[in-house]
Amino acid sequence: MKLTPESKVLIQGLYELSSSTHAVRMKAYGTNVVAGINPGHGGQTLGDIPVFDLVEQALAEVGPVDTTIIFVPPYQALDAALEAIAAGIKQIIIISAGMPPLDMVHLLRIAEATETLIVGPNSPGIIVPAKILLGTHASEFYTPGEVGIVSRSSTLTYEIALQLTTAGLGQSIGVSIGSDTIIGSSFLQWLQILDEDETTQAIVLIGEPGGNSEEAAARYIAEAIDKPVIAYITGRQAPAGKHWGHTGNLAAVVGRGANVGTAQSKLAAFKEAKVAIAQRPSEIPELVKKALKKG
Amino acid sequence: MDLLEYQAKEWFREMGIPVLPSQRIDRPSDLKGLKIPYPVVLKSQVRTGGRGRAGGVKFVENTIDAIAAAQTIFHLPILGEFPEVLLAEAKYDAEREFYLAVVLDAAVRRPVLLGSPQGGVDVESSPELLQQVVVEQEFSPFYARRLTLKMGLTGTLIQSVSDIIEKMYQLFVQKDLDLVEINPLGVSSLDEVMALDGKVTVNDRAIARHPDIAVMAEKKANRANSQYPTAMLGSWEEVEPSGNIGILGNGAGLVMATLDLVTDAGSKPATCLNVGHGRNLNTSPLAFCDRLALGLEFLYQSKNIKVVLVNIVGSVPTALEIASVITNFIQRHEDRPPASKTRSHPYPGLIVRLADLELEAAREQLKTVQVPLVENLDEAVEQTVRLAKVNAAKR
Repeated sequence: MKLTPESKVLIQGLYELSSSTHAVRMKAYGTNVVAGINPGHGGQTLGDIPVFDLVEQALAEVGPVDTTIIFVPPYQALDAALEAIAAGIKQIIIISAGMPPLDMVHLLRIAEATETLIVGPNSPGIIVPAKILLGTHASEFYTPGEVGIVSRSSTLTYEIALQLTTAGLGQSIGVSIGSDTIIGSSFLQWLQILDEDETTQAIVLIGEPGGNSEEAAARYIAEAIDKPVIAYITGRQAPAGKHWGHTGNLAAVVGRGANVGTAQSKLAAFKEAKVAIAQRPSEIPELVKKALKKG
Repeated sequence: MDLLEYQAKEWFREMGIPVLPSQRIDRPSDLKGLKIPYPVVLKSQVRTGGRGRAGGVKFVENTIDAIAAAQTIFHLPILGEFPEVLLAEAKYDAEREFYLAVVLDAAVRRPVLLGSPQGGVDVESSPELLQQVVVEQEFSPFYARRLTLKMGLTGTLIQSVSDIIEKMYQLFVQKDLDLVEINPLGVSSLDEVMALDGKVTVNDRAIARHPDIAVMAEKKANRANSQYPTAMLGSWEEVEPSGNIGILGNGAGLVMATLDLVTDAGSKPATCLNVGHGRNLNTSPLAFCDRLALGLEFLYQSKNIKVVLVNIVGSVPTALEIASVITNFIQRHEDRPPASKTRSHPYPGLIVRLADLELEAAREQLKTVQVPLVENLDEAVEQTVRLAKVNAAKR
């Protein structure tokens, strides 16, 4: 994953809803946004971002890009991602919410074959505080430092960043993998990236009900992660099956036990892996401080 | 969205999956015009399971018995659900019953084919017989044959059952399904196969791109209790009918975290509302501030809610814009007779927690309607719980 300030970034769906606001914010944060794509608007500019009709046209003009950020409406997100892959882009962040899961299945088969990294969908993307903003994170809550945050939520991630910042703990990265049933990059991938990242000294993992990715992450932490991890799982008190729009638990669970997907199952997995568990967001900073002292 | 059995079977028939001759029965008198020869089976069309055990399936030999049985079934709720229609279907003598399904598996991020040689109600009692095949790449019939062999099938059944799985997979992809299930698949003494019952779940997010399914969804929504503006708002859930706190936030994770904190503090949230982003079922998503205004209105109408906790973090609109929406909401309701005698808090009580760099203007704005703006989440939860207790005592 290339996450340096000079990384070249494309935005697909530049005029969708709030994406032009976010494009301007990214640019202001120092992200090297080199072009935007909006069929029918080729030749225009947004601020100083040139707009093209096709990804390949943009690349012919600005050269290869490292990352594209997709804001198009959900039914067009698969097509936008396929267009980016066809143009040779290797890192794709899908902000769009509401992609049908079978579109993701289709995309992942191709992404795996072409070794393309997909983050999302339904994700605010990635932020490396004071360096680069790739997505819609509320950057004002972040400050540079040593704590890596990996999460499935958006606003809850900002909440945790704010709590850390307020306690004087900066962050090395904030990444949300998205909360949909079928997503690209996993907790496992990001745990591995953060374990190898030199800036990151502690990892905060934020999970929620649905799916079994937290359970898998817990096992992986016990086996392979050397840095301290603090887990916080939201939705302990949420009634079963109620997820406020997050669809992580719609898929069938075959042969994995009836309890999989609940916050309780995830908490049990982290406990078994001897990972420190925060009961509430405000507990996270003290647990991080404790872990950093030990190390 | 779950389809009813007769709807699933219409799709099966279109795909070429063998189903028995059947007829939809809207009222008992429809049975006078029954075109299927007796004996027939009458089946309650409900989405809940366990209808056989509950008495929702009856075999009948003649019209008189059929009408009487239909009247009984129409008046028989199954797990609280009354059938809108019945299905009259020919009887079938199955020697064996299989289980077949195609389902989306989040862990492997692929569709999975499922099959058991012991279908019907037995499938749950013998999970060790349930076989699965992950469809790693583009589907090809060998995935289906692989499943039939794992199920232990031999001879002509390998091909005939594989054909059905292939058609189920086509349906799964064509209609954007989360699940298609045939249980049981009847197998006759001559090894002929027949889909005797079926379950289909359409992925909710994909409905809008299938005009035929969108029509079905609309009919279903019109029948259902549609007083809630859910499509406009995003998602809401009733948590605990006896609760007295409403939670409104932007983002599912944040709403759940707030719910946990309020519950841990000993209070009972009644309803949670996520106004983070509108659903894509709606072609004209409302702007954030409109969803916030609608959300406040929705929670206000709930009589048992004594306090609403608004928790908004990092939204695109500024804190001042959000404060203006809240102020307008309160001013609109001040014309109504106040339910509580003191004017220190509007009814229901509002606690507003916003996180933003610049909060002073928002704080001033909210002061004009006596609503406190709290910056710290734990503090906001504490105030909410305290106010809920005070308001509950007033009643």
